[in-house]
Amino acid sequence: MSVSFVLRAGERGYSRLVSTGVNATYVAGHPDGVITRHSSFNFHEYQSGIAGFGSIRVFGDEVFSPGGTGYNMHPHHNFIICAFVLGGALTHVNTLGKVDELLAGDYYVFSAGAGGKHAELNIGQEDARIIYLWVLPNQLLAPPSYLRGRFDAKANADRFACLVGNEPGALPVGQTLKVTRLVTGRNGTPVYRPSPARGVYAFVIEGEARIADTVLGQRDSMALTGEDRIEIAARSGTDLLLVETAL
Amino acid sequence: MKKYLCLGCGFSYDEARGLPEHGIAPGTAWVDIPDDWVCPDCGTPKSGFEMVEIPYWSRT
Ligand SMILES: [Zn+2]
Repeated sequence: MSVSFVLRAGERGYSRLVSTGVNATYVAGHPDGVITRHSSFNFHEYQSGIAGFGSIRVFGDEVFSPGGTGYNMHPHHNFIICAFVLGGALTHVNTLGKVDELLAGDYYVFSAGAGGKHAELNIGQEDARIIYLWVLPNQLLAPPSYLRGRFDAKANADRFACLVGNEPGALPVGQTLKVTRLVTGRNGTPVYRPSPARGVYAFVIEGEARIADTVLGQRDSMALTGEDRIEIAARSGTDLLLVETAL
Repeated sequence: MKKYLCLGCGFSYDEARGLPEHGIAPGTAWVDIPDDWVCPDCGTPKSGFEMVEIPYWSRT
């Protein structure tokens, strides 16, 4: 049992980006658009935290205010960018020619590869709540790609649902990366079994879970290495994301 | 010859290739790029790049 780190919700980096001033062109929405971003890893102006874990470089817990707020079209290369919509509606536009609307449970994998742009917008009437995960690719400048999937919490209650990775029904990324979601309808201690020599980053979206004698509340997270089984004692009503990465 | 990746957007710099379109000749070492240089795509400072050992994509 090896715990790399425990990161409490309040210890994460925090940025509040408004749609006026220096970020007027980057941040969409006007005049009162606001993005809040809690970063688990070192990112932009948040430069004092944990640099990353395995191939993970960004884990952003973000909220876009209504009325067109989000990120205007901007460029990326290389990173594999995943978005998991927790609430509200996200409109995603990319230079592969895709315009997509994602609701709670929907998610995408946008591999920027040799280059692509995207915009992320909340044109709905309520806050859009999204988790953004950025992962280093195992090859640089690959052809860009976009895939989208849907997580059905009811159909997947009390089981580990693989959202991204090499499993039936999951979005493939062609490298060592697995994103799994667990939503519980009862108290229990399911056991997650990572592949050998992987690291697991566990993030509690809602509820409470005890992992490796550490109690994680809402938005708390931890990273584990060298495990072949991870017992997750989760309360009913817990929503948990597990990101399994090469180390 | 090393490669560096911008943590703000994923832009990659390859010492072997340089960035001729941005005035950096092929073969320019990372240490020889000025400290006030920023990512041409997103403006992230040089200090926000990470050295990576990732091969280029190949059709296999
Ligand atoms: Zn950049």
